[in-house]
Amino acid sequence: MDVWRIAWFTVLCAAGATAVMLPPGVLIAWLLARRQFPGRALIETFVSLPLVMPPVATGLILLVLLSRRGAIGRVLERFGIEIVFTWKAVVLAMAIMGLPLLVRTARAGFEQVNARYERVAATLGARPLRIFLTISLPLAWPSVLGGAVLAFARALGEFGATIVVAGSIPGETRTLAVAIYSFAETGQDVQVFRLVLVSIAIAFAALWTANWLVERRAA
Amino acid sequence: MIALDIELVQGAFRLEAAFQLDARVAALFGPSGSGKTTTLDAIAGLRTPARGSIVISGHVLFSSDAHIHVPAHQRHVGYVPQDVALFPHMNVRRNLLYGSHPGMSPDLDRVVGMLEIDKLVDRRVTELSGGERQRVALGRALMSGPSVLLLDEPLAAVDVPLRRRILPYLQRVRDDLKIPIVYVSHDRGEVEKLADVVVTLEGGRVARVENV
Amino acid sequence: MRPALLALIAALTSGAFQNVPSPKPITVSAAVSLTDTLTAIASEYANGGRGTVRFNFAASNVLARQIVSGAPVDVFVSADEAQMDLVAQAGLISDGTRVNLLSNQLAIVVPNDRPRTFRSVRDLADPAFKRIAIGDPAAVPAGVYAKQYLEKEGLWTAVASRIVPTGSVRAALAAVEAGAADAAVVYRTDARVALRATVAWVVPVAAGPRIVYPAAVVRTSPNVTEARRFLDFLHGASAVRVFERAGFAVLPVRAGAGPPRVPSRGR
Repeated sequence: MDVWRIAWFTVLCAAGATAVMLPPGVLIAWLLARRQFPGRALIETFVSLPLVMPPVATGLILLVLLSRRGAIGRVLERFGIEIVFTWKAVVLAMAIMGLPLLVRTARAGFEQVNARYERVAATLGARPLRIFLTISLPLAWPSVLGGAVLAFARALGEFGATIVVAGSIPGETRTLAVAIYSFAETGQDVQVFRLVLVSIAIAFAALWTANWLVERRAA
Repeated sequence: MIALDIELVQGAFRLEAAFQLDARVAALFGPSGSGKTTTLDAIAGLRTPARGSIVISGHVLFSSDAHIHVPAHQRHVGYVPQDVALFPHMNVRRNLLYGSHPGMSPDLDRVVGMLEIDKLVDRRVTELSGGERQRVALGRALMSGPSVLLLDEPLAAVDVPLRRRILPYLQRVRDDLKIPIVYVSHDRGEVEKLADVVVTLEGGRVARVENV
Repeated sequence: MRPALLALIAALTSGAFQNVPSPKPITVSAAVSLTDTLTAIASEYANGGRGTVRFNFAASNVLARQIVSGAPVDVFVSADEAQMDLVAQAGLISDGTRVNLLSNQLAIVVPNDRPRTFRSVRDLADPAFKRIAIGDPAAVPAGVYAKQYLEKEGLWTAVASRIVPTGSVRAALAAVEAGAADAAVVYRTDARVALRATVAWVVPVAAGPRIVYPAAVVRTSPNVTEARRFLDFLHGASAVRVFERAGFAVLPVRAGAGPPRVPSRGR
């Protein structure tokens, strides 16, 4: 097994998952922080669900929805799109497991932005989208970035949902966490420790990069 | 010309205000909690009255009968809140230009010249003094080409000597740009130096309207 | 985020993600304990030009849940009968394809630096064994088997207070290898590859619980012919060699229950 290939695959999938969840995650965070609308509590609960449910359960729900007989999988199959047991399932599982961390952190960031800035911007003629892009988002940026890094880190280590919906298919869907489990279960300790060291290195790199980005902004 | 007749409930506080003003500078005067800021926010479109109407220079900004509620970003009001709320992540120039529209806004050089903030345009807003912040906020509001200026206690946060220095700028805005001003204050002396008409609010109601 | 996305797309179209070879490979969901043996057998299978196999290795209960939930799987090789039964009850086993492929035995291991050889399983009651690791009897099949066996031998009550339940059978072995436990009840196949643990007692087939690895073709498989061919290959001479080297016993195919015959069974 090629340790670097597994590591590279995991980082790519986690980055992809972060990219996929960022637009909806930031939007949901902002809506929860700033708007009152029907179904708000429902969305709030729904987004946090992966945080409190066992990851395996989240994986099972995804599997049931996305498999060939599932509500979503049936539709996707018509377009020739297969998710279950492919890298797409890895990205999806990571995104859903990471989303609550992004939303919660970003939401706190939006809540900390003084609403006066947004109101003044409105009186200066800015539409809600422009206010969001030029005022709310830049002022909440450190929290959004922090949330994205947390979600990315969570994605790197995601195991329970991934192994259920994406499987542990060597060379196709096997991430660092899944590979560590597989090697541990087959008694290949040397491989396990190599993968663990690589995981630690990646986690450090991600956190340092995040700190550097935040500090560079603050400077 | 401002015609206002609104009812607005905010928790336990109830505002019932009605007045018509045809003045260059109208002051909303009264003790704190009398409804001055709430009235100002209603004109700016930041609070929605339960009932009534707000008309400025013939434009209906709010009317509960006609179901009109022009959103804040379409009201063309220049609003300066009490804490001025300069955007902290932008420098002075970007703050000034935030609401500017080509064709509608006054010339930047003219505004910064009039307010004597031309040397500050490339500064960060965190480096400004209290008086400088007031003038930049005023400039930012003017640069959006407003049809009315709404100032909430523009001199409350600055000390007395500074007050004396900012007052002429406000008078200059009044006399040079000819934009009507609605001015919130609890300081009688300040009000008398600027305003033509004083609306006194007490407990959410208009107590009297006087010409100065 | 855009460079990362581009990198992802670039990687997808190049080598970081394996391109799916043609013809379409069959997907075999197999117990994680079979990772090494099945990978070796599949490479022989592919070298012989018979077809390509992609494996999904996980705990058997996870694999069964995946199949029942509609995951696209062609062949299921389970580490215990209960999980295969679960799939069968869901009506997802292709008729007449279920076979008992392998059997395993239990073994008791002790740390390398304190090697022992039991004269009988009763030696486990020796007070020197302060901590005895087994898979959690509430969840882990190996733990269920270990408890069954110790009860049958009338030893359970004597050792129950010294039992340390672990999350998997590998964790039980690891506990002994790390010196955290004085003995562990594990599979013979695990004991064989252990580096810092040594076998003290192998449970005789007749005395121990029936530990069977069943295999079957999944009914929803779009490649039934391919799936059956691979299942047959698992009973072939070269596969049997690999399994036996790892410590498994390969079970004879019961008449009528198995896939179509393949000549020379090797047993």
